[in-house]
Amino acid sequence: MAKVLIAETSYLIRKGLVGLLEQTEGVTELKAAGHPDTIVLTIKEFSPDILLLNSAIQLPISHHGLTSLLHSKATIIYIINTPLPEDSPLHQISVFDTKNKLTEKISHHLKQYETNEEKEEAEDLTPREKLILKHVALGFTNKEIATKLFISTHTVISHRKNITRKLDIKTVSGLTVYSLINGIIKMEDIQ
Amino acid sequence: MHINPTTKMSDLVQSDFELLAVLQRLKIPFGFKEKSIKTVCQEQKIDLNFFLNLARWYHERDFFPGETLMNHPVKWLVKYLRSTHSCYVEYHIPRIEDEIVRMESLDQSGGHNMQLMLKFFREYISEFTTHIQLEEEKIFPYILSLEENLEKEKPDAEFLKTARGYTIKDFLKEHSDIEEKLVDLRNILLKYLAPPSDNCLFTNVLIEIFRLGNDLNDHTILEESVLIPQVIKLEEAFHKKFTLQ
Repeated sequence: MAKVLIAETSYLIRKGLVGLLEQTEGVTELKAAGHPDTIVLTIKEFSPDILLLNSAIQLPISHHGLTSLLHSKATIIYIINTPLPEDSPLHQISVFDTKNKLTEKISHHLKQYETNEEKEEAEDLTPREKLILKHVALGFTNKEIATKLFISTHTVISHRKNITRKLDIKTVSGLTVYSLINGIIKMEDIQ
Repeated sequence: MHINPTTKMSDLVQSDFELLAVLQRLKIPFGFKEKSIKTVCQEQKIDLNFFLNLARWYHERDFFPGETLMNHPVKWLVKYLRSTHSCYVEYHIPRIEDEIVRMESLDQSGGHNMQLMLKFFREYISEFTTHIQLEEEKIFPYILSLEENLEKEKPDAEFLKTARGYTIKDFLKEHSDIEEKLVDLRNILLKYLAPPSDNCLFTNVLIEIFRLGNDLNDHTILEESVLIPQVIKLEEAFHKKFTLQ
């Protein structure tokens, strides 16, 4: 189960890949973009698991900038405008590849998200994460939480990233609402 | 459907009614009869290509006419964005708020969940309003005077002073993300709340939040990929032209 973004300037290739991926199992959401600026914006908004990116596209950000926009488990598959050798790496596809070859490579990457997803489904917040969430919901800053719980700010941040990923909630007020609904904090606590 | 100057305006809307939003924001009145896009644009004094580029983008979703839209006077885009703002503030947001109020009144679960959602949404409204006020009161007037003064032989002394101390890049720093909270609201409603008694209402609130979210996304793309790069170009031209004064 993966969200896929196709970043390809060529109209024909983009449409072709959309057609192929629409029939591929394991793709939950699919987006396509052609203009470099739109690509960057879509990456930010959509946060794809797999990015199919034509290697010839000059993005307005550096490679480092690109990887920092993507989440830590995201994969980039490069679309190459020239033929590739038989034993080409799995994260490269060529516009000359056959349908079978393309499906094989893309499915290989999709499989990784399948297994991840199954594990994650059973993944509730850990007691530690709940404790952190409680403090966030009560309005404490990362630094204050770190001091209170005798851990580093870095650890707090990494817990918060996991909480946001698991719950799909980014803002502090969103997390507060979630905590209230689920009884992690009480109305009286924040009044 | 491919959108041509000779396409009838009514056919355009029939093929994709989401384009009604674009017409509304350009303040194009209805009653098209058999008129073509070209005729309607002429009558309403709207640049044909500006309209075509916007409509094609909204309709085809396949290319983003960033470069092309930048070739039009910036005041048109500002006008468009302004209408979009009033649409949000006067219509979409109050409507969603009203619906959440109704959901709260129908909620018989005895819990405070809907009350929480309402509080959350009202916080969002105040953030949203601040965001829009900044654009309406500070940024858009700056952009319009910039374009106006660039045309002049000699810029207004007052504006020259502003222009030397300010750039649109400062605005980017202040340009807060107005979608995040809305996405959170959507996810909470979708994943963590059981719907209250009136299901149609609940579904409709979700649909409207999704719509608003998508629309805000487009709005941000227009601002960040067209408006701001265009203003940066105008600023460069301005400073080049008036460098010695």
